[in-house]
Amino acid sequence: MSSDTLTSQGSDERQPDPILEITDTNVTYTDGESYVLEDASVSIHRDEILGIVGESGSGKSMFASAILDAVPDPGVLSGQLIYNRRDGTTVDILGLSDEQLRAFRWEEIAMVFQGAMHSFNPTMKIKTHFTETLQSHDRSVGEGMSFARELLESLYLEPERVLNAYPHELSGGMQQRALIALSMVLNPEVLIMDEPTAALDLLMQRSILSLLNDLQEEYDLTIVFITHDLPLVAGIADRMAIIYAFEFVEIGPRDAIIANAAHPYTRALLQATPNINSPLEAMQSIEGQGPAPANVPSGCRFHPRCPVATDECESVEPTLDAHDANNHRVACHHVERAREELTISTDEEGAFSATERTTQTTTDAESLLELSDLQVHFEASQGVIEQFIGEPDVVKAVDGVSLSIEAQDLVCLLGESGCGKTTLGKAMIGLQEPTGGSITFRGESLDEHDDARAALQIIHQDPSSALNPNRRIVDILSEPLLHTHPNASITERRRRITSLLERIGMTPADAYIERYPHQLSGGEKQRVVLSRALLMDPDAVLADEAISAVDVSLRIEIMDLLLELQEEFETSYLFISHDLSNARYITEHAGGRIAVMYLGEIVEIGSAQRLLTDPRHPYTEVLRWATPDLGLDTDADDEPPVREIDVPDPIDPPTGCRFHTRCPVARETCVETSPELRDCEDGDGAVACFREEPDHQYWESDPLDGASEHPE
Amino acid sequence: MQMSTDTDVNWQSEQTDETIDWRDRLHEGFVLRVYEPALIAWNDRRTQTGLVIVVLYLCMALVDLFGLWRDASTSQAPRMLGAFQNWSYPLGTTQSGVDVLALIIDSTPFILQMVLAGGVWATGVAVIVGTISGYKGGLTDSVITAISDFFMSIPGLPLVIVLGITLEPESPLVLGVILTINYWAGLGRSIRSQVLSIRNESYVEASRAMGTNTVRIIRKDILPNLMPYVLVNFVFAARYTIFAAVALYFLGVLPYTGQNWGITLNYAYNQGALFGLEAIHWLLAPIIAIVGLACGLILLSQGMDRIFNPRVRTRLTGESESVESTPEHTTEIR
Amino acid sequence: MNYYLRRTIRIPATILGVATLTFGLIRLLPGGPFTQLRIQLRRRGMDAQEINARIEALQNIRPEKSLPEQYLDYLIGVVQLDLGQSISLNKPVIEVIGQALPWTVFIVVVSTLLMFVLGVLLGSLQAYWEGTTFDSVGSGLSILFMSIPYYIYAVAFLVVLAFSWGVFPTSAAADRSIEAGFTVAYAVSVLHHAALPIISFTIGGVGSTALSMRGNSIQVLGREFVEVARLRGLSDQRIATRYVAMNAILPMYTGLLLLVGFRLGGTVVLEEIFTYPGLGFYLIEGVNANDYPLMMGCFMVITIALVLAVYFADMTYGLIDPRISVGDADEY
Repeated sequence: MSSDTLTSQGSDERQPDPILEITDTNVTYTDGESYVLEDASVSIHRDEILGIVGESGSGKSMFASAILDAVPDPGVLSGQLIYNRRDGTTVDILGLSDEQLRAFRWEEIAMVFQGAMHSFNPTMKIKTHFTETLQSHDRSVGEGMSFARELLESLYLEPERVLNAYPHELSGGMQQRALIALSMVLNPEVLIMDEPTAALDLLMQRSILSLLNDLQEEYDLTIVFITHDLPLVAGIADRMAIIYAFEFVEIGPRDAIIANAAHPYTRALLQATPNINSPLEAMQSIEGQGPAPANVPSGCRFHPRCPVATDECESVEPTLDAHDANNHRVACHHVERAREELTISTDEEGAFSATERTTQTTTDAESLLELSDLQVHFEASQGVIEQFIGEPDVVKAVDGVSLSIEAQDLVCLLGESGCGKTTLGKAMIGLQEPTGGSITFRGESLDEHDDARAALQIIHQDPSSALNPNRRIVDILSEPLLHTHPNASITERRRRITSLLERIGMTPADAYIERYPHQLSGGEKQRVVLSRALLMDPDAVLADEAISAVDVSLRIEIMDLLLELQEEFETSYLFISHDLSNARYITEHAGGRIAVMYLGEIVEIGSAQRLLTDPRHPYTEVLRWATPDLGLDTDADDEPPVREIDVPDPIDPPTGCRFHTRCPVARETCVETSPELRDCEDGDGAVACFREEPDHQYWESDPLDGASEHPE
Repeated sequence: MQMSTDTDVNWQSEQTDETIDWRDRLHEGFVLRVYEPALIAWNDRRTQTGLVIVVLYLCMALVDLFGLWRDASTSQAPRMLGAFQNWSYPLGTTQSGVDVLALIIDSTPFILQMVLAGGVWATGVAVIVGTISGYKGGLTDSVITAISDFFMSIPGLPLVIVLGITLEPESPLVLGVILTINYWAGLGRSIRSQVLSIRNESYVEASRAMGTNTVRIIRKDILPNLMPYVLVNFVFAARYTIFAAVALYFLGVLPYTGQNWGITLNYAYNQGALFGLEAIHWLLAPIIAIVGLACGLILLSQGMDRIFNPRVRTRLTGESESVESTPEHTTEIR
Repeated sequence: MNYYLRRTIRIPATILGVATLTFGLIRLLPGGPFTQLRIQLRRRGMDAQEINARIEALQNIRPEKSLPEQYLDYLIGVVQLDLGQSISLNKPVIEVIGQALPWTVFIVVVSTLLMFVLGVLLGSLQAYWEGTTFDSVGSGLSILFMSIPYYIYAVAFLVVLAFSWGVFPTSAAADRSIEAGFTVAYAVSVLHHAALPIISFTIGGVGSTALSMRGNSIQVLGREFVEVARLRGLSDQRIATRYVAMNAILPMYTGLLLLVGFRLGGTVVLEEIFTYPGLGFYLIEGVNANDYPLMMGCFMVITIALVLAVYFADMTYGLIDPRISVGDADEY
């Protein structure tokens, strides 16, 4: 490998030891006309975690590819990328020959991508991925594999099981951790992670992050963590960089960014994030969306969306200059005004101010939907060998759930993926046949009620697959009107559709109705999906992770829209989420309840406020831990408060209390007997845990392996 | 449902109050179903070429139907005239003095009818069977799958030969159906698996949630997504029909009725052994007719999936496009 | 019930179905083969009893018995591998088939493998050099290859290479003067005779295989795991084989199944043109000579060969593609 003698002194960086110095780096397309990364100049310090935050399509992934000189064709990379080895030699990455680059990648800098499923060859076992990597870099397979096993184990995985599996046989969380192990198998100095956890549950995200923190310390790694989720990375980052419209707009130490953000965009991002410690009214979404590479605004790129923009911002592009000490650099003309005028409240006092709407005064009227002891069991698909022998396995996706939903109510189902939230929701709106128990709709059995079908609607998680790609928006939205107003004329239908589109902020509506779904942005698609459900004039709508597929900056906006339309259309929501902060935002606004689900059962239910301030079930506490907050004292170094990271196989759920295999306070009793859902004595809602009963034999029995002896 | 909630929402659009009459609808339907697809087809060089070739064959059929060229009959011309030697008989003549061009033109309507019947039958049955089996599932699915697996296990040509002998089909339509008698089975199976995956799309579930009836879901949500695949396979079925028909006429296992390219090929081949290169034009004429039609159909099919792709549609009609891109849809060819 | 068992039970069921179909075609269709034979024999002045005896000898069917009994007799005959007596060759049908079957299998297997290998190679190269002149010429040729039915190649080769130039034999599976056995001379003779049928059958399928391989490869090349493999520093050769080719070929496997069916059927035409003594050739012989037992016997054996081929492929699919547990091959 060539090692240039070029040693550049990081001019304005106080830290003495930058591992990567990136100077004036650009990525251009179409003959240098459109930039997808412009003038990136960043130093990455040895052994730090640098968090890079940006909206989708802001050029943050391009930055990751640029560091490895792996920009996809036909993009052109220019600038200077200097890598400093520990021994003092330096490498000019863009000057490497193909063979040198091949060796450099993964040995010095490795990369972890978002979708682990897509990063593995589906036709090869995980083990082969490790061995071929070792062989390609002329490492000893024996030593390499024992290191790999060590890595897998420290990521809470069973090495043999994972190595001998094909990628599709592992859960998303396992795949992602296996990919992290694969990226570290050559013991690189730098790990670049591009949205490594975006597709996962919050709990898994947080667990992986805390494991990453451990790995970083143990193996002296430098980590560049790229994400759209500011609070998530704030938990582990040493420094943070904000990228907007293909340029860095702010770089600085984490605390400075969180507590004293200077760029209006950063401040808006902080404000837009659902946060369990901020008062509800403080959260606001950012208007508009980031520009495409072809039409970047003149001057400061953020000026069309910026509340403090002046004429100067329109014409003069600000440079990324140091504003405070600590190398806090910002590209903004009006830092002082931004700080003064754009306040961010993280003040915890106000967090639980009065809820906007009072809880439905429970009436003697019959409830809208009533589930009693509902069960949904599936036959699981089986492997080759199992098919020869024995009975099919049964997955108890929903196992004995009782719940009632009033008119204009909001219930949020909270839990990890695989816990049965979606199945329960679909059973509730009649899209999934229950295998046991009963559902009544307005006092009548759900399948016998005539109006039930039209009255129960759904909003899917992924707006792209929820709209038929072959139909125009007008055709999609006419469909519900054909059901509700079969006699309306076409003119009438169009008029309604245009006025609704205007109502939800899609103007000019006349242009939108002629479009096909692929011509809309993610947020717009989700609005159309929402409109379609509401045009049915439903009594209850299942919103199945309805906001997880849209960018963080848009989530509040969609939730607000949901809430407004709930009032106008007088409907109830069944809101499914894995994110406590989102659940809290919508539940508290609507005055509803959160039901925490684990492996097919509801383990705790109550108001958002009670669940946040006084979680009773250990699982609720775990979910509370997993929710990132922006407090300065937050320390992500703490171990995840579960004994196992992965949810057990639902085919063979644990005996007794299903959470006992992961519960930090489980005792012998929990293995044998299963707690009932009991009303809380001094608070709203109900919880299923022995710890609620002061004289239960739980307190007498021995803690399980790894469980805490003296809880609290 | 009642209209009660309408009061809560302001339905009054700020836009114009223009009404939409039947003329607007007709125009819109024309643009969506005829004009835009045609524009897309014409924009692909391969589809364009294919279209021209197929239209050429249609013209040949019209020439025959309106009697614009002489009918083929023995001793209508000098014997064994080569191609391009006498412009009254551009493709030359046969050993018994028949105009080769007349032979080719005479058979065109027969062949086109047969090809159409074969294509419609094979894809039609496959779509019906595949959609029902995939969407309904359960017992219906098991029964249909078992039946189509059985038909898939019978090799096409031998079955057709046996049937051809027992039924002695003479009508081109019946012949087309017999030739593709079990072609639908394999196609139906792959349509079924596509329907299975479309059925799980969220938008189908949303339609079900609205209480949309099954027929409408299949018509609006499922079939449009299958159309590219169905059209491409229609062409392959048509190609198979003409290949099989010519082969069987060539072997002499189908009853000779009138003229067609297979019979011409058979005579030319058998006489060719006697006459050598002198008869080559006679042999080549039906071959070129067959290959030309097959080639036209395949070229036509190459751009077929684009017609139903809304992305292509919006790109060509010059509307705005979102940034995201999807990988090109590739079609399995067999 | 588990998939393997179900799939295995379906084989005899399918064969039973085919036998029933054969029986039905022989017996029930108006103007069916035996009616014709009966007319022929009667014209020759045979009396009814004699005709019945003759037909019984030919097909194990006693016309005076009731239909169910006849059906049962026929099935028993099939199980005992007694497919009747060939009228034109005056030999048991099973004996004729025993000699013909290996040749057909030989032609189909070799040409299908060749077609697959050549198509995959051509398609991968096109994908690798996507957008170059080589790619466009390749695609053009593929479409042209697809437009020409295999028997046209057969006729062309036969007319030019065999009849005109005499480079290849015009009929038979091997030189009659060479004794069959594992000798070099015999093997050379077999290859010499099989060359033209195999080549024409191969060219006919290369085009479509290449086109699908090209499409699949281009799709796989754009997948993320290929990019990750590059970043991991794997050699180009490993990426081309283990990553791109493997993932591009797998989806073509089920298509290959259907293809085997079409190709088995296609031997009828091919063998007739080359006078190659396989099943297809005897099927046509049977047709031309009104030798129905021979025709039906060949039809049935070709079908059984296909049933077994599809069974084999279904059973191995799960082993080849780890993502599919057998039985979900066409499910999700």
